Amino acid sequence: MSAFTITPVEKGIMRCRHTAPMNHEDVRSLASFLHDYRGKLLVDLTGTTGAECMGNLQQFRPMMPTTAIFGAEIDPTVLEIPESYYTHEVKYFQTEAEALAWLREQ
Amino acid sequence: MEAKMQIATQTATQTALNTFVHETGAWVASQLEACTRCGMCAEACHFYQATGNPEYAPVWKIELVRRAYEQRFTFGGKMRVAMGLDKPVNDNALEAWSKIVYEACTMCNKCAMVCPMGIQLGPIIHNVRAGLSDAGLVPEDLKTAVRKQEEIGSPLGATDSVYDQRMEWVADEWEVELPMDVKGADTLVVFSSIEIMKFPENIAAIAKILNKAGEKWTLSHKAREVVNFGFYEGNEHLTKLFMQRVFDGARELGVKRILVTECGHAYDALRWTAANIMDVPNVEITHVAGYIWQLVGAGRIKLKQGALDDKGVITFHDACKIQRRGGHIDEPRELLKILAPNAFREMTPNKEQAICCGGGGGVIAIKEADPQRYKVFEMKMEQANRVGAKTVAMFCSNCRLQFTDGVQKYNPPFKVAGMSQLVADSLVE
Repeated sequence: MSAFTITPVEKGIMRCRHTAPMNHEDVRSLASFLHDYRGKLLVDLTGTTGAECMGNLQQFRPMMPTTAIFGAEIDPTVLEIPESYYTHEVKYFQTEAEALAWLREQ
Repeated sequence: MEAKMQIATQTATQTALNTFVHETGAWVASQLEACTRCGMCAEACHFYQATGNPEYAPVWKIELVRRAYEQRFTFGGKMRVAMGLDKPVNDNALEAWSKIVYEACTMCNKCAMVCPMGIQLGPIIHNVRAGLSDAGLVPEDLKTAVRKQEEIGSPLGATDSVYDQRMEWVADEWEVELPMDVKGADTLVVFSSIEIMKFPENIAAIAKILNKAGEKWTLSHKAREVVNFGFYEGNEHLTKLFMQRVFDGARELGVKRILVTECGHAYDALRWTAANIMDVPNVEITHVAGYIWQLVGAGRIKLKQGALDDKGVITFHDACKIQRRGGHIDEPRELLKILAPNAFREMTPNKEQAICCGGGGGVIAIKEADPQRYKVFEMKMEQANRVGAKTVAMFCSNCRLQFTDGVQKYNPPFKVAGMSQLVADSLVE
């Protein structure tokens, strides 16, 4: 069983719910998904802890589309990367409603 | 204050003119004299084709150098200025041309392919960029990326520690061995920041291929960035500095070859430009597009016949600097004949005549160039759609970034793929 699930939220937004520690296969699958995906992303960390997903969040950050993250306490500095022409905005929110509202405005 | 600004402006103009004049040796002069202004180069330029803007015609892009040359060296040129028939180059002209040659030219040099006089417009446009660079008239976004590469070693923020973290992550998660700083290795592999930050699977893919082939290869901390934003800017000092880092790494490790990964302009800079402007180590400089095919030809790796045939039509995008400039036109097609003998289709035009993706030459880094960059991508997208492509493959990460961005914007029915990854996924274990 995969450590994350991808489900539609609405047109142009998908929810990526992290549910368990990621193994190598999960990381590679998520990388592949991020390359092919064309919309915005709502990252739902309610099924995990900040400590568990911080390392992967940091590594996936440069590959993410416009993304709103919520659901677990994370250190926002892991999302900080030098602004560049290839990067998209990624922000952390306390609640799903806030995250979704911001995402809809992007 | 006003007077000071005027002096500064005059200095910028004079600086640019000095560079143009300095760059105008016999070769450039002969090229400029040979031009009949027939305009055939316009039809070859993807920016002109996509927008119809006459200022994007390559013959107009080199007009600054032509004016500088004629007004300085020819009787006719001097007379025209004296009689008020021609304007001397000034600060307004420099600013106008900065927008044209940085934001609407990818230095793809397709214009040279169609020029009946054989004029190499690309290198002359590079001279225009050199003059503008010396005059400080480089678009801000491009300048920022250049400075980052100068200061932290990467235009995309891949510092020493980020590089180490990314490589460790790739080695761990993709379960590949990534040899680092191995003295006496045969091959030094240098990735681009785009691969390191955006396409890390490419790193895993190339590692998997080389490991499978039994290659004695290595990465290098010293030579950890193949991209050359100094080359995009036209800044010779920085172009050399960035290549020097790669050559220093190669010398330190005593390798026999430098393998340039999926980056087109870096290949042009290291393979051809370097030899004309600096001391180059006695090593082979090759591109992964050609090298993978060599490995297949030598029987060092085997690919699954027809591995991609069941994934719909696959087409190949020719990168200007790897295929047209680098000559690696047949190798990707030979690979695709094995991987997708029934599903491979050529876009039109293709090979040497293919059009650029629109994002090369630093254009993708400049926000203000987005409108014309997307217009060019629309043409490319239409070519892929015309053959019913489900996958567009390529050997250049910069092109891939442009395609990925374009696909995000227009949502066409095809996916974008790096060729090294397609090969790595199709290796016979």
